[in-house]
Amino acid sequence: MTLALPTTREEAWRWSDLTALPALATQTPTGTPAAIDPLWIAAEGPRLLFIDGRYAAEHSTPGPVTLGPVAPAGTHPLGTLTAGHDGWTLTVPAGEAIERTIQIVHIATGGANHVPARISLADGASASIVETHAGDGWSNRQTDITLGANAHLTRNVRLMQASGFTSTRETITLAANAHLAATVLAIGDAGTRIDAGITLHGDAARAEYGGALLSRDRQRHDAAIAVRHEALDGVSRQLWRAVADDRATASLAARVEVARGAQKTDGEQSLRGLLLRRTATINLKPELEIFADDVKCAHGATVGELDAEALWYLASRGVPPQAARALLTRAFVGDAFDRIEEEPIRDAFRAAADAWLGAEA
Amino acid sequence: MLSIQNLHAEIDGKVILKGLTLELGAGEIHAIMGPNGAGKSTLAYVLGGRPGYEITEGSVTFQGKDLLDMAPHERAAAGLFLGFQYPVEIPGISNVQFLRTALNAQKKERGEAELSGGAFLKIAREQADGLGLDMDMMKRPVNVGFSGGEKKRNEMVQMGIIDPALAVLDETDSGLDIDALRIVGDGINRIMRKPDKAVLLITHYQRLLDYVRPDFVHVLADGRIVRSGGADLALELERAGYAGIAA
Repeated sequence: MTLALPTTREEAWRWSDLTALPALATQTPTGTPAAIDPLWIAAEGPRLLFIDGRYAAEHSTPGPVTLGPVAPAGTHPLGTLTAGHDGWTLTVPAGEAIERTIQIVHIATGGANHVPARISLADGASASIVETHAGDGWSNRQTDITLGANAHLTRNVRLMQASGFTSTRETITLAANAHLAATVLAIGDAGTRIDAGITLHGDAARAEYGGALLSRDRQRHDAAIAVRHEALDGVSRQLWRAVADDRATASLAARVEVARGAQKTDGEQSLRGLLLRRTATINLKPELEIFADDVKCAHGATVGELDAEALWYLASRGVPPQAARALLTRAFVGDAFDRIEEEPIRDAFRAAADAWLGAEA
Repeated sequence: MLSIQNLHAEIDGKVILKGLTLELGAGEIHAIMGPNGAGKSTLAYVLGGRPGYEITEGSVTFQGKDLLDMAPHERAAAGLFLGFQYPVEIPGISNVQFLRTALNAQKKERGEAELSGGAFLKIAREQADGLGLDMDMMKRPVNVGFSGGEKKRNEMVQMGIIDPALAVLDETDSGLDIDALRIVGDGINRIMRKPDKAVLLITHYQRLLDYVRPDFVHVLADGRIVRSGGADLALELERAGYAGIAA
């Protein structure tokens, strides 16, 4: 099978580097993952493990999650590659709450793997899902999410593969008063493409989607998020922090569309980049497309370096240069994790960022 | 404690210090006064090791060690504290986190055991109380939203927590009202007036010296010490102005 991939000539993919994917797609995984235990966050609840895209029942306690074929929605060039593969589904009936956080760990051992998924929360339902990607190879995911009226989904994703590439595509539709709080942390040493299309379909829905991209060496992180307001009184928040060191590139394209009639929309984008070295690159592209006349949309996009005055102040108080840089970088990305409601998960995300900062020479 | 010999320093090709010589002994408080542009802040920066300054001649020995050979953070660990004229704001890092990181980095550099969170907070609370700063302020980001006076008091809280052997205080009195001046002056006396410590007070005005009585006063003009004397010299300067003294 030949792999038809988007090229950088297409606007939505101009900052992507998919060149490693054709080779990965022809390779065979080794099938022997490194340590899995450290990838679980210390929180009670259902756990699912996928090794090279295959559900590992002996390591899993799936709780309400079911396994089997899932047809991915839409025609996303990477997302559609998950068609025909088995995946997972979480369906929560009206008014029901899944009290404990569902953890899904994906570990890859080379080659390519594709997993489709579906999350459906009926009216008034709630759930929290945290996903972690680790290992090597190309891991490709599409997750289609529908939130009913007053439903609440918390979704936190850590992309921490040691090598290869992780691509995630999400389609998310929110009914009236539904609430999505999603945080993505791209870390580790693999390339990433984080792609999401979020539609606020019912009135007074609230979508928070953001995170942090930490890149080094020749790594490339690339996030493309589009939020579409179709109804009244919608609120969207996109807060992203991108850090690039060495010759890495971190790119963020965040879009807000406000349809005709989506009055009283309140949209906010905060895209900030931090260059740890001048050989690194950060691309920020905030976009607003507004067809309603009574809306409040704010966006800010800035790229900077560590503050030389702050580094000098820290040095004068006895903090060595590398620790000072780590402390200031930590402060810079800190905002991105404030949205995570559950403490063990917030701590795990912060710890992953701290480990990255400590390793940053 | 500190011996500065024939120090020459420049920044961006501009020569600021032109042969400055100064000796500070343990238990002594020295004041350096002088007109704008004399090189007072440059002296503080050069002692602290601020990037950008070039030493072209001379030496600085601190407790027997070559100070100019040390990185800024090593100077701090060796016992030098620099009080900033314009303390820096650092969003996203609390004062408590900043100071605990700094204190433990110094201890690590000296091969001492690091302080636990509880032990650190106890010291921080004592010092904040001593300078009339609320512990809530210590939990806020470093100097962010602090008034000019609060920033200077915060410098003194930091000095109290770090407990240095030598404090170089660069215009710590600027921007302070009369009450704050007394609080800061009391803080300097309480923390630093000890037989094994020394202070170099850099100031424009006599008024801080009403609270922190110096053992020696020096006049810095055009990059050199042009006159030295006792505490009375500051009063004479206040009357006659720098023009009369430095000439």
